[in-house]
Amino acid sequence: MAEKRITIRTTRFDPDKDKAPRLQSYDIPFADESMVVLDALNHIKAHVDGSLSYRWSCRMGICGSCGMMVNGIPKLTCNAFLRDYWPRSITVEPLSNFPIVRDLVIDMEDFMHKLKSIKPWIIRKQEYPLGAGEHRQTMDQIDEFRQFSECINCMLCYAACPVYGLNNEFLGPAATALARRYNLDSRDQGIKERLPVIADAEGVWECSFVGECSVVCPKGVDPAKAIQQTKLDTTMRFVLPYGNRDE
Amino acid sequence: METVTSDVVKEPPGSAEAASAGSAPRVYKPEMPLGWWLRQRHYFLYIVREFTALPLALWLLWLLFEIQRASTGPKGYYPPESAAFVVFSVIVLGFALYHSYTFLSLAGVIINIKLLDKPIPSRVIVLSQFAAWFVASVVIAAVLIGFAR
Amino acid sequence: MDFESYDVLVVGGGLAGIRAAIAAVDANPRLSIAMVSKVYPMRSHTVSAEGGAAAVLRPEDSYETHAFDTIKGSDYLADQDVVEAFVREAPIEIIQMEHWGCPWSRDSDGKISARPFGGMTTWRTAFAADKTGFHMLHTVFQTSLQFDQIHRHDEAFATKLLIEDSRCVGVVAIDMRTGRFEAITAKSVILATGGLGRVYAFSTNGNICTGDGMALAYRAGVGLKDMEMVQFHPTGLPYTGILITEAVRGEGGYLLNKDGERFLKRYVPNKMELGPRDIISRAMTTEFEEGRGFDGPHGKYMHLDVRHLGEEVIDRKLPFMRELGREFVGIDIVKDPIPVRPVQHYMMGGVDADISGATPIVGLYAAGECANVGLNGGNRLGSNSLSECLVFGAAAGRAAAEHASATRAVGANPVDALLADETRRIEASFLDKKGGDERIGTIREEMQHDMDAGAGVFRTREGLEKLTRQLGSLRDRFEKIKIEDSSRTFNTELTAALELDFMLEVAETIAYSALAREESRGAHARRDFPDRDDAKWLKHTLAFRDDGPAPRLEYGDVRITNFKPQARTY
Repeated sequence: MAEKRITIRTTRFDPDKDKAPRLQSYDIPFADESMVVLDALNHIKAHVDGSLSYRWSCRMGICGSCGMMVNGIPKLTCNAFLRDYWPRSITVEPLSNFPIVRDLVIDMEDFMHKLKSIKPWIIRKQEYPLGAGEHRQTMDQIDEFRQFSECINCMLCYAACPVYGLNNEFLGPAATALARRYNLDSRDQGIKERLPVIADAEGVWECSFVGECSVVCPKGVDPAKAIQQTKLDTTMRFVLPYGNRDE
Repeated sequence: METVTSDVVKEPPGSAEAASAGSAPRVYKPEMPLGWWLRQRHYFLYIVREFTALPLALWLLWLLFEIQRASTGPKGYYPPESAAFVVFSVIVLGFALYHSYTFLSLAGVIINIKLLDKPIPSRVIVLSQFAAWFVASVVIAAVLIGFAR
Repeated sequence: MDFESYDVLVVGGGLAGIRAAIAAVDANPRLSIAMVSKVYPMRSHTVSAEGGAAAVLRPEDSYETHAFDTIKGSDYLADQDVVEAFVREAPIEIIQMEHWGCPWSRDSDGKISARPFGGMTTWRTAFAADKTGFHMLHTVFQTSLQFDQIHRHDEAFATKLLIEDSRCVGVVAIDMRTGRFEAITAKSVILATGGLGRVYAFSTNGNICTGDGMALAYRAGVGLKDMEMVQFHPTGLPYTGILITEAVRGEGGYLLNKDGERFLKRYVPNKMELGPRDIISRAMTTEFEEGRGFDGPHGKYMHLDVRHLGEEVIDRKLPFMRELGREFVGIDIVKDPIPVRPVQHYMMGGVDADISGATPIVGLYAAGECANVGLNGGNRLGSNSLSECLVFGAAAGRAAAEHASATRAVGANPVDALLADETRRIEASFLDKKGGDERIGTIREEMQHDMDAGAGVFRTREGLEKLTRQLGSLRDRFEKIKIEDSSRTFNTELTAALELDFMLEVAETIAYSALAREESRGAHARRDFPDRDDAKWLKHTLAFRDDGPAPRLEYGDVRITNFKPQARTY
């Protein structure tokens, strides 16, 4: 039986040498039905071309490192199976809407700043002393924010968001979802400190509801929902007499 | 054996950012291609929705103009009867329905109401929105037809 | 040359490292803290921990039982004073995490819930569904963002510890974005670089777990303690090695051989699926050898069956397991048994450090998996490691802050010279290297397969001797590696080479330490010495770097306080 093979085309870009990214093709063995796109990249790096650069670590869909465009769709390459593409070739590119550092590596510093700007930590008017034990919280209260806490910062939603692509000032899906995660947490009292960032013109109001962020999210987070809910929430706080109350 | 081929595929739009002062990292900043909205169904529907705002606004301006004319009494008012305008109105009605559909579907996602401590499923909220829309439409239609008689 | 100077420098951005950084800020808010990590902190391997974090939080539990369970689990190789301090600190740290926002799963009264875990005699493992490590890491990382004293150097690869007058004063690191070599100096340095699972072929560990901190300390002259103690987790998915959490068994899952039999009744009859990891991994391996395993395309395996738990329990307590089954194996664990087999998971051994994380080098501390503070001995109990990262991360952070507060700043002269030396070394051996015909990937794969074969669940003298020879020859071949990538920008071939260099070094300490320990204790099971030998071997191995290929082995006493060694049966 002839050995099964597959063609992988990946973006190559080295700022020391290249003016613009190009694509390079590698024809590699498709040796195991369980192989994923990341395995293919690892095969190339280990046995064909050691200079191919990309990020990866856990290969179990939780560290968020290995997001790339696979045939034009943002995906975690650790669970994009080759068998779903074969015998077609696969084109692997760096995530859209981000500056390219090298090959498949994007610059995500912008997100790191945005993450910090939404103050993603518990804010309380008065510190609850450690000696008092834990805050009481029911599973129903956790369910209020659970899905938004499952964001792995993989950046697929930013790659899917044309609004972010057109305007990098937009706070974007993941950062808004994480702000919502803290605003909905029964232990948190910091919504007023986060409002200036999330209710800003470059915050939720920049979103015009494409909805693709929620489609590509590998963790079932619904950032589009977080954004629309935040719009409703901030409007209510603005128009209702009791809306701006302290919580 | 592995084979490696290198092919420069069309130069994508974008710009290499030259190093400004010595050690600043150089990155390549891709730009969105003009046809980006044709790549995904969601993008396409989104752009369609954004663009429908224009004809909708035109139609509404026309409506305001009509109302203003009607205020001078029945003599000054005569409805537009050209086939082109009817076709235009039907298309705009389609657009308006698309907007309403998007808005009401979203409501189920956004609205978070609890009944006996259990969140109401978004499907129920969406269905009730559509039901309310239908009832409101019937009531308005009945009132208008009633007045017309 | 100019360099950045801080009070405290943390190498590693996982749970232990971030906890240490925050503890240092708390101890003295005027200190400046640097955090150097080769990945963005939220990518650190803590993120893959699933089952939970152990702490005495319930009235029916006691410090004594947690301490005893841990010591018995360690096969009496743990330092008992360390364990006793640990069990008292762990609950405070779990509450601290709660105050920082960790979404711990709750009981109906709103208090932090607990689940049973292997080797623990009562329910004491706090959990956030089955993504505990993920939630803890993101919670502590996001919490750390509020402290302007913490200066992150993300994606900076530490290549060497700066040692001046036998005192640690910082690191040399490569900024991966620019390829620039930087000296980052500090009065105290904390290593929190995690494990070394990638020296094995079949491991639950992520690509980044390459033993960097252990190798850095080893090269600086610190001993690596108990490196023969490598934990194999009973339940990894074949092919990928993805971890299926022990919580699956904690919640009531069964391990079945191909006859549909709960075979653990022959090995740990009183604990069954809740036995400790070392014993269950050996039981599974024995069953495979006796022909009672399933045969699959990726080797032998057993069934882990949770079907009887029902969809509701699975979705509430094990949702990530269902997701992993669906996404990576194509099964629904509500309807199908999960294929599993033993897989390298954790390193009990590590940088020799005391109860506050201090190593024998002044100013150098270690915490988390890269350290061996004496907590885990011969076998770590599941869910003790997340708590360990918190307790000993915080301890190291406090000790490092105290040391920094009382120490003068680092001078520039020796640092400049050390940076120049290290830059020259890496440029000569890697970046500007001409010729060479060995592929990094090939040497790495051979090392991994040799380690699986020679230093796995069961070991023998012949196997370990062969392994030391193989590692020696791989080390020779490493001198002839070929580097194709000369770019300074995000050169992951360079970092892969540096990681392989580290891994070959720590792999040798595993092989030689295991060869020397002629007994079976905890995770170290010698076929030629099947029994524990307290008279000769109730002691810690310390491996020091020596001139020859083999490390110099020394031995240290195990501190015993209240629990006299006895037979370890479950």
